[in-house]
Amino acid sequence: MSATPTTGLARFRLSLQDRVDGLCLLCMGGLMAALSRSGLYWYFLNPKFSGVTLGAGVLLCLAGLALLLRPMPGPTTAMRLWRQAVLLGFLSLAATAWGQAASEPLPGAMSPASSENAALAPEEAAPADPRPVLDGREYVRLNLAELYIMLDKGRKDYPERFALRAVVSRTPELDKRGHVLLKRTAVVCCLADSLELSFATRGNGLEALQTGDWVEVFGRLAPLDEKGADKGLVKAAPKGEGPSLSLTNPKFRIEVEAATPIQAPAFPYLFEFKEEPPFAW
Amino acid sequence: MDQNAFAIFAAIVTSIVLEAAPFLLLGSLLSSIIAVYVGDGALERLAQRSLPAQVCLGLFAGLLLPTCECGVVPVTRRLIKKGVPAGAAIPFMLAAPVVNPVSLAATWVAFQGDLTMVAGRAAMVLLPAAALGWALGGIKAAELLRPGLEMARAEGCSCGCGHGHDGHRRPGFLQGLPDVLRGTGREFLDMGLFLILGACAAGLFKVFLPQQWLGVVSANVWLAIPAMMLLAVLMSICSEADAFVAASLSMFPRPALLAFLALGPMLDLKLIPAIAGVFRRRVALVLLIAPAVGVYMLAMSLALSGAFK
Repeated sequence: MSATPTTGLARFRLSLQDRVDGLCLLCMGGLMAALSRSGLYWYFLNPKFSGVTLGAGVLLCLAGLALLLRPMPGPTTAMRLWRQAVLLGFLSLAATAWGQAASEPLPGAMSPASSENAALAPEEAAPADPRPVLDGREYVRLNLAELYIMLDKGRKDYPERFALRAVVSRTPELDKRGHVLLKRTAVVCCLADSLELSFATRGNGLEALQTGDWVEVFGRLAPLDEKGADKGLVKAAPKGEGPSLSLTNPKFRIEVEAATPIQAPAFPYLFEFKEEPPFAW
Repeated sequence: MDQNAFAIFAAIVTSIVLEAAPFLLLGSLLSSIIAVYVGDGALERLAQRSLPAQVCLGLFAGLLLPTCECGVVPVTRRLIKKGVPAGAAIPFMLAAPVVNPVSLAATWVAFQGDLTMVAGRAAMVLLPAAALGWALGGIKAAELLRPGLEMARAEGCSCGCGHGHDGHRRPGFLQGLPDVLRGTGREFLDMGLFLILGACAAGLFKVFLPQQWLGVVSANVWLAIPAMMLLAVLMSICSEADAFVAASLSMFPRPALLAFLALGPMLDLKLIPAIAGVFRRRVALVLLIAPAVGVYMLAMSLALSGAFK
């Protein structure tokens, strides 16, 4: 009479490790699936990967269910316990990071307009006018990363006059030299490979702007005099405050002809880069 | 670590793991499919081929079995357990993350259709991979793999289906599906451990590594090449995405960019614990050191010869 429950208990004990593995996978898969559908996915990865993350999350849940519902007997080893503990540790870390993203931005990172807007899809509507005219001069709207990439590749066919949105960064050293820094964070795949791209900038309408203000500038590029008046200017740009690798263009500054303060975009990071019109916005 | 640094660390580790997890899962799924559906004898026939043929097959198998470095170690482990000789499995593990359609296309796009960068990257991976395949080709599976790593199943055959070799027959698709799912889950947990530890190490370096040194070292090729190799290891970017990061670091000379693109898929903070955990110590040391030495010598040769400006 007592043999059956003992055998059942022994069988349950033997299959316990598979069940715990299954639970770990369900938690991991659930986290990935939930994050892929949340408004904060862009904070960690380029939104173009959200479908991949969702698919992987679903597959992990299926694998977890298979282990949970149809476990096989197997021994408890220190290695199995260790990998379960590490995965649970990661899940705690990820939950902390998700909570942090929901409550306040990372130090040095750019803030979105509001957490409400951040729940929207990342693709923004193209600007009403991709070629605005100001004081009789035509400008081409593009994003800062697109301009940076074109210059980086040595291309000469960048727009002569352009309009772009950026966040302002000021330091006493740059102030002394009559410049501010205009920057955007470009995310290729995930936050770990993000780049904070910036240009030293001077010109009209920048005086009243403070660090963290968003602005749309209308202007053109001018080469830096690296051996003369602009010596050390790029080195004065602040670096390393946030999670991204900071790069300031070493050859050109932006000469601003007009600047308009704007609301912070819902998605402060740039995820799309085109090298010919129509540019991403 | 202060609160801000911890916040950055947590976000970076989360983003690296979430970015790599689908690729690791794909590798685990492939590994499990091989374990359940591919007969033991099918791949063992490779061992009857000559060593040069094994090496060639291994070098270019990634074109048919695309995988990035996040998932290549579990696939390689499974291939070796299924009887694929080291002469094919080692070149596959080192070359497949680069010599596959996705990674080559990403390099081509990131460098604006510059085929010399694509070819240079492939060559810089193929040469060390071939050399190691040749050198380790005669070693048997039992001398390659650590015996203690059979974490998913301590007994039974390698498919994890719970019965012995004698009773093992290849199941039909639906019949084998639960085994595939269970095997995928176990393999993912086995290798996910190394991914998470590697991501933590990359996160620590990302938080504490001063960025200013990049500008200083990029001007000198003797510093730039080792620096980019170190960066490739520390940043641990997926081989299908690293070309975009390399393209953005254009202040570095091209041989240094090639060194970055070639070494990262063979040696990074995700791979180090995975290789050390799967292979026996001596083999692991060779697999960790030789690609770095090979890439350094090739990149320096290109830089000093002026062939790749």
